[in-house]
Amino acid sequence: MKWIGMGAVLAIAMLVAVVLGPAHVPLSDLLDSPIVWDLRLPRALLALLVGGSLGMAGASLQSLVRNPLADPFLLGLSGGAGLGAVLAIALHLGGPWALPLAAFAGALVALALVFRLGLVGGAELDPRILLLGGVAVGAFTGAVTTAIVSLAEASELRNAYLWLWGGLSSASWATVRLIAVYVPIPLFVLLAAARPLDLLVLGDESARYLGAEVAATKRRVYLAASLLTAAAVSVSGVIGFVGLIVPHVGRGLVGVRHRALLPAAFLIGGTLLVLADTLARVAVAPRELPVGIVTALVGVPLFALLLRRWSAA
Amino acid sequence: MRSSLPRTHLAGLALALLAGACGRSSPRALAAPAQRIVSLAPSITELLFALGAGPQVVGRTVYCKYPPAALAVPSVGDGLNPSVEAIVARQPDLVVLYRSPHTEAASRQLQALGVTTLVLHHDRLEDIDTTARLLGEATGHADEGRAIARRIDSVLAAPAVPGPHARLVHVVWDNPPIVIGGGSYLDQLTKLSGADNAFHDIATPSATVSIETIAARDPDWIAVLRETSDTMPPDYAKRPEWRVVRAVREGRFLFLPADLFGQPSARAPEAVAYLRHLLDRSPLVVPVAR
Repeated sequence: MKWIGMGAVLAIAMLVAVVLGPAHVPLSDLLDSPIVWDLRLPRALLALLVGGSLGMAGASLQSLVRNPLADPFLLGLSGGAGLGAVLAIALHLGGPWALPLAAFAGALVALALVFRLGLVGGAELDPRILLLGGVAVGAFTGAVTTAIVSLAEASELRNAYLWLWGGLSSASWATVRLIAVYVPIPLFVLLAAARPLDLLVLGDESARYLGAEVAATKRRVYLAASLLTAAAVSVSGVIGFVGLIVPHVGRGLVGVRHRALLPAAFLIGGTLLVLADTLARVAVAPRELPVGIVTALVGVPLFALLLRRWSAA
Repeated sequence: MRSSLPRTHLAGLALALLAGACGRSSPRALAAPAQRIVSLAPSITELLFALGAGPQVVGRTVYCKYPPAALAVPSVGDGLNPSVEAIVARQPDLVVLYRSPHTEAASRQLQALGVTTLVLHHDRLEDIDTTARLLGEATGHADEGRAIARRIDSVLAAPAVPGPHARLVHVVWDNPPIVIGGGSYLDQLTKLSGADNAFHDIATPSATVSIETIAARDPDWIAVLRETSDTMPPDYAKRPEWRVVRAVREGRFLFLPADLFGQPSARAPEAVAYLRHLLDRSPLVVPVAR
């Protein structure tokens, strides 16, 4: 029943996203307007895929580091992606795909750094060091990014900051295809780790006694969640709060078992971002808000409400 | 001539600075035309050189690149986040700043050190009129200041170009798409050239919009500022989401030289003529390869 409800809400959100927009498209022209087919529909699909990926990455990472505050961007990826993007602009790297590729590469470098830091204690990732390493790498890349922006003379760099707030304006069928081909692999890896993740939440020791391959699971989950986030950030910039809030909503709706929680986080994250992006496009039309601002404005009060309800229960 | 400028005249100037909508003087007003000026905005540097006060400029920002002679002046760094120490090291008797919270603080610090400052709004064509007069008097080039103001006034007072008008969108950035709105100097230049800015209704100088909105407004031209003289369409013209915009699909780009169109300038009449020429002669249409 809950699943049907979630599916229905997502379907309505997609419909709203395709029908509403800053440009007026009469309902009768809806099916053959290039604005609908080539802009709104790919953008809604991209929002679904990016929001879903962030939600699922957030749910897995919170379980992995056993910290409800964990967020896909807390692990340094956004800083790395931002540095990559700013470097691409400062170095005048040409080509229509230069920015997303550079952001992806930057996120991968940050990921590798944090991963290596997480392994300092041995073959097993230490959640505390992962978190600290992520924050440290994020701060460092942030500092380098700011240094480049303030020292380089390219006036375009000012606009790079806007990209860092997140937005889906690069959505097209080409972007959707790229993400749709890439994303299922890490999604599948995470879904396959649902059972060991259930055990991991109990603590490393208990998980080991119950038969989980603790070290291997942690590495797999960390890499899969990070690669999902890196892909999301490369096409949409840093969209905050989705990865933080969605897993908590998911736990409230379907419980803590990962076999249900991970797909639910994908659906909820996708729905939230589709709605947030629609709002970003139409709320102040003809202007547009960075979608990260909308996810924060909508997500944080929702989060506060849920916190109150759960602590009362 | 400069040194004999009557004191009463300068007292009048100091009053004008205190009372003026866009100026502010230090407690110690100038006793004589400024001889060591630090300019903290590219548009102000350009205006100072246009007034003939170039030899009096002893400091500029890293962004001041026009006229080329300005490059010979030592840079004091960033104009919006100024280094008071670097400015004072140039031993200026007048520092001209662009108005923002950061520069207001720097202006107070400079005044505390006994340096005369002038904090200016210099965003629109009519601002050039005011600043040209003010800077002309402060630097001992009052006649040139009035001449520039008159040129700007005559451009502003020119009769409107009869329609039909081409509609254009100034795209400043592609992701997220940022366009020029009605609050900008570029919007004024567009109007004076006999074209319509398709985003004139947005009151701010610039705004983030959706590609969808640009597509729906269906401009005839996309105007792009260029540092170089190449006429290759911008990279984003190859991206599928941008090709929904007709002007992008058809390669209808207008390339505006950044040094002429990038800042409010005494050369506004030249900028208007240049854009009008581009529009009248329907510049080369370069179709974009997919």
